[in-house]
Amino acid sequence: MKLKAVFVFFFSILCLFPALAQDHSKKFSGLFPGISFQRFARQIEAQSDYEFYFLEKDVSEIQVNISAAENTLPQLLVTIFEGKDLKFSIDGSNRVFISKNSALEVKLAEDFFNKRDREIKGDSLGAQSDIDRAFSRNKLYVIGSQGSQTEATLSGRITGIDTGNPVFGAVVFERVNYTRAITNEAGEFSIHLPVGRHTLFIQNLGGFVEQRQLSLLGDGILDIAIEENIISLDEFTISSEKMSNIARPEMGVQSLNIQSMRKLPAVLGEVDVIRSILTLPGVQTVGEASVGFNVRGGAADQNLILMNHSTIYNPSHLFGLFSAFNPDMVESVELYKAGMPVKFGGRLSSVLDVEAKYGNPDKVQVTGGIGLMTSRLTVEGPIGENTTFALGGRTTYSDWILDILEENTDFNDARASFYDLNFNVSHKFNDKNTLKLNVYNSSDNFRFDRDTTFTYENRNFNLGWTHYFNEKLEAELVLGRDQYNFGIQGRDNPSNAYDFGYEILQDFAKVNFQYEYDDQHQLNFGLHSIRYRLQPGQIGPVGEPSLVIPESVNTEQALETAFYIGDNFEVNDHLSLNYGMRYVIYNYLGPNTIREYRDGVPIAPPNLEREREFSAGSIINTYHGPEFRISARYILDNISSIKAGYNTGRQFIHLVTNNAAIAPTDVWKLSDPNIRPQWGDQISIGYYRNLKIDKYEFSVETYHRTLRNLIDFRSGATLILNNAVEQDILRTEGRAYGAEVLLKKNTGKLNGWISYTYSRSLLRTAAEETAEKINNGGWYPSNFDQPHNAVLVGNYEWSKRISTSINANYSTGRPITLPVAQFNYGGNERVYFSDRNAYRIPDYFRVDLSVNLEGNHKSKKLAHSSWSVGVYNLLGRRNPYSVYFTPVNGVLEGFQLSIFAQPIPFITYNFRI
Amino acid sequence: MLVLSIISCRDPFEPEIIRQDLAILVVEGYVEVDGESFISLSRTSPVRDTASVVFESGARVFLIPESGTSFWDFEESEDQAGFYTLEGSFDPNQKYFLNVWLSNGEMYQSELLTPIITPDIEELGWLRDEVGVEIFVSTNGNEDARYFLWTYNEDWIFNAGISSFLIFENGGVRERREEERVDRCWSSTFMPRIVLQNSARFDGNRILERELVRIPNLSEKLQRRYSIEVVQRAIDQDAFDFWEILRKNSDDIGGIFSPLPSLISGNINNVDEKKDENVIGFISMGRSSRKRIYIDQADVAPWRVEIPEYEFCNLSMDTIPPELASSRFRTGVEIPARILFDGPFFLGYRGASRECVDCTLRGSNVKPEFWED
Repeated sequence: MKLKAVFVFFFSILCLFPALAQDHSKKFSGLFPGISFQRFARQIEAQSDYEFYFLEKDVSEIQVNISAAENTLPQLLVTIFEGKDLKFSIDGSNRVFISKNSALEVKLAEDFFNKRDREIKGDSLGAQSDIDRAFSRNKLYVIGSQGSQTEATLSGRITGIDTGNPVFGAVVFERVNYTRAITNEAGEFSIHLPVGRHTLFIQNLGGFVEQRQLSLLGDGILDIAIEENIISLDEFTISSEKMSNIARPEMGVQSLNIQSMRKLPAVLGEVDVIRSILTLPGVQTVGEASVGFNVRGGAADQNLILMNHSTIYNPSHLFGLFSAFNPDMVESVELYKAGMPVKFGGRLSSVLDVEAKYGNPDKVQVTGGIGLMTSRLTVEGPIGENTTFALGGRTTYSDWILDILEENTDFNDARASFYDLNFNVSHKFNDKNTLKLNVYNSSDNFRFDRDTTFTYENRNFNLGWTHYFNEKLEAELVLGRDQYNFGIQGRDNPSNAYDFGYEILQDFAKVNFQYEYDDQHQLNFGLHSIRYRLQPGQIGPVGEPSLVIPESVNTEQALETAFYIGDNFEVNDHLSLNYGMRYVIYNYLGPNTIREYRDGVPIAPPNLEREREFSAGSIINTYHGPEFRISARYILDNISSIKAGYNTGRQFIHLVTNNAAIAPTDVWKLSDPNIRPQWGDQISIGYYRNLKIDKYEFSVETYHRTLRNLIDFRSGATLILNNAVEQDILRTEGRAYGAEVLLKKNTGKLNGWISYTYSRSLLRTAAEETAEKINNGGWYPSNFDQPHNAVLVGNYEWSKRISTSINANYSTGRPITLPVAQFNYGGNERVYFSDRNAYRIPDYFRVDLSVNLEGNHKSKKLAHSSWSVGVYNLLGRRNPYSVYFTPVNGVLEGFQLSIFAQPIPFITYNFRI
Repeated sequence: MLVLSIISCRDPFEPEIIRQDLAILVVEGYVEVDGESFISLSRTSPVRDTASVVFESGARVFLIPESGTSFWDFEESEDQAGFYTLEGSFDPNQKYFLNVWLSNGEMYQSELLTPIITPDIEELGWLRDEVGVEIFVSTNGNEDARYFLWTYNEDWIFNAGISSFLIFENGGVRERREEERVDRCWSSTFMPRIVLQNSARFDGNRILERELVRIPNLSEKLQRRYSIEVVQRAIDQDAFDFWEILRKNSDDIGGIFSPLPSLISGNINNVDEKKDENVIGFISMGRSSRKRIYIDQADVAPWRVEIPEYEFCNLSMDTIPPELASSRFRTGVEIPARILFDGPFFLGYRGASRECVDCTLRGSNVKPEFWED
């Protein structure tokens, strides 16, 4: 019977038409002696084609004690319900609906087809809390009075069904044009809809999706009571993504929440933000142990990686084996591949915005995990009524590790360790003011032999203040500092013992305003300023016998300031425009010594014209210019839309590296008079479609990017401790283009996605560069040009507690420069290399499998636990990371070096108290 | 720990590189302002080509001063094709061009060579530590000589796995003469490694104890006596960059954080600029300084030696009576090693495999000319 009651939920008003022709002539006879109503109903159902629909609790107290003799069912029911507050109704299909207080309307109003003549007096249908939800969901509410208007405003108040408290933040929306409104603190909402029939959905965070059937004739009020119980977070997530795929105005945006990241098989059992985004179309990596990732053919230094406003310069531990984000502290991740919101800037390719937690407001919770290599622990919860916090830490067990990265016995003395710490606090002063503190620290320490130790560290903190001026205007002010440093301690020999250090320090201030101008315009404007201070390398002696001369490259300072304004303009139901501009001013500041070179000749010592000294604080030079962000969405019909976008960007800080992968010891360099800021644009267009009632989500996006003032290096460039690094740099231009196809299944036991990316990334020494032309000035593939990339992510839920995930990943091998000739020089066999990146390493293919076992869901239990067991690289394919040639017995032999070359089993235990 | 030890591995890689022979000209050498200079000319060969190096013989190689019309011709060595030498004395304050005219008519010229006088090697020393012996060099650079390049040759004596003073000859066994000894030989390496250092990074351009060679424990190099000759050359920055690229391209390629390989060229160009031909090689000029030292086993004792080739060397178990000596030793697979007596009675011989007895299979039993005992 319960099932049948549920069925009512899905009962649609359209089924009621047959009710116009009713016939209750079936007669019943017999004795019903003191039986329950349920049993009575079963007996009636057995004797006839009547079907009963009711809630068990409504009828639990009813005892049927009658004797029937050729009575119709309505007669019987009237007798049974006599003196009770139960009502019944029977429709044309002989379905019997039992309800409390008032009967379910199974007929259309008599004047339903004659609405024009109708006068509706009351325009408010009071709170519905006393009406069974089942009715409310399906009942047709006729609102407003008929007028000439084509659009009407519906307002109302949402309250909790049990508490009667206003519900703040509930989303009220309809699914045709995805018009939506959000309730304010008083639970009030206002939504603008065309007149006519609507199904209005009310989504409270973590609650059921409640719905109301409306016939909107004019302006009116509808108050709604909804259940506040937390049912399922997943349900919320999926429906919001479903909406966003088609209706979201930006394009090239990928969101992942921590729940979906958890479903991916993780290397070494650790949920990993960066590895998770690598499963998304358009995101690639040069190899498994590399720090960076490449978005749409852009270099790894062109990604802005933010965690709660902090810029993370090195987002990984252990050369990229782990990402630097503690999974228990991460709430969700957004990756903008195109159409970056106007509030972000400073990098050309993407923004990875990691949202970290501020803590559970209800109770103190401890979560953690124990894996083969790492352990982590997070404590979160409320402190008093208005403050929540989250504190998380993660570390490796011991200092040992890794004689594995390279098969080389010299690495017997390899050691590695790392940790990271997050501390986030949110304090609500009052309804209008909230203060948030974010602190992050991650540190790595490793060595390949006893003599040389490498360290690196991210240190970030910021303080944000959110102020709500009124319902329409909200502002956020964030002040913070980001720090990244690395060091090398050389203790090879007392006479050349040294310490090498490098540091980036940036102080920033952001003010961001969000202003809902009206129903159509949502403005976003503000100011973002960064003060850079780079200590780009210093070396000093250690100990008395050391002869190393202290040396340092001049510190660099700069100020980057951006003003921006953007508008999300809902032109009409179909068309939405998101456009904005960012104006960036970059000042390179003293003190410094600047080398000026003659124009038109290579930047090289013989062409040095003069050196100029600049005093502290003076502006050495200024770059400035606008950046544009434009995207448009046009909804074709309920299930599909097209989007197009164009955006430009500027980047003033460059990673100076000539490795394929980012190494922890690569230095960043600011733009100066000799090294111009990088500039890039991107034009993209996409088609989005949901299939089978939102079960599947399909999208195709294509893009073309142009990049200028990129950096490549002359042969034999020295990049560390080089004061005149511009002499080793080749000005380079780039272009990238490609297409991304994604098919995603969101619901059901089997879910996941399959994506294919075609992407090219090409470079060319700029025409004005005279020092050296790589590959004779022709286009050559960048180090991360991997044209074909396909990813399959599948997740099958056997039950609520057991799920299996599979992740398959294919990509074209990355380009390499191969030896094409050999010669003898200096007593040894040497190799002569081909044109830059003329060849490729073999293709990459990997399959991972994992099984997640959840502990039972009994709520009274000390700890909720789960196990994650799996195998990384299930097929054991030896995917080459790099290729090199070395003489073996006088013959030059090629070798490929693979990382994770065999199936790697992992197991992790996670718990939550 | 088990998990980690299986993470990475190395496999052979054989890409289908076009088997095209680029045959790029390779010029190597150093012009001494005082003494013997050498230049070698060769061609590159396809990768994995096992054929020996193709030398460019019959070329005319000559040095001309920047100003003036005089020139000095190199002479091609008679016993080594493509190897050209010149004995002479040149003004170190002048600048020079090196010219190469090939037999096919192509003409090449170096960029202007500025001789650099290399400071003396201050110390060529060594240090015994727990992992072996480290040999190092110290020198003092100056304003003109900041960038240093060291090459070295090593020579050492080693013993055969089983020493035998017997030889089978004309059907009989007799004692070996001194020049027939196969129980101790000399082995050598020739320029196994380039070592580079920029002295400008150190106080007073002083390079102290720069490591050149590391002899690991158990190495045969210190079984008896070892000698190393180090050639130190001060070079200019461009030459330093060239050698650095050469070294990086050979030593550093293929690691996780290795730099991308760089295109290598040098300071030799085709005279016909339109040809845009790449020539590999950097010729420097100046005066080099040399030093040789010896290290005896006694200096580093105790020094245990393990030579993998001799690991399973044993005398034959059976005694070979004189009448069977001919049949056993005639083929040369086995060599007589010991004479057996039972008291005064001669019993016969015990033999051992040629690989274990004859050190000339791995070296030379002729003492090098320079060798001092």
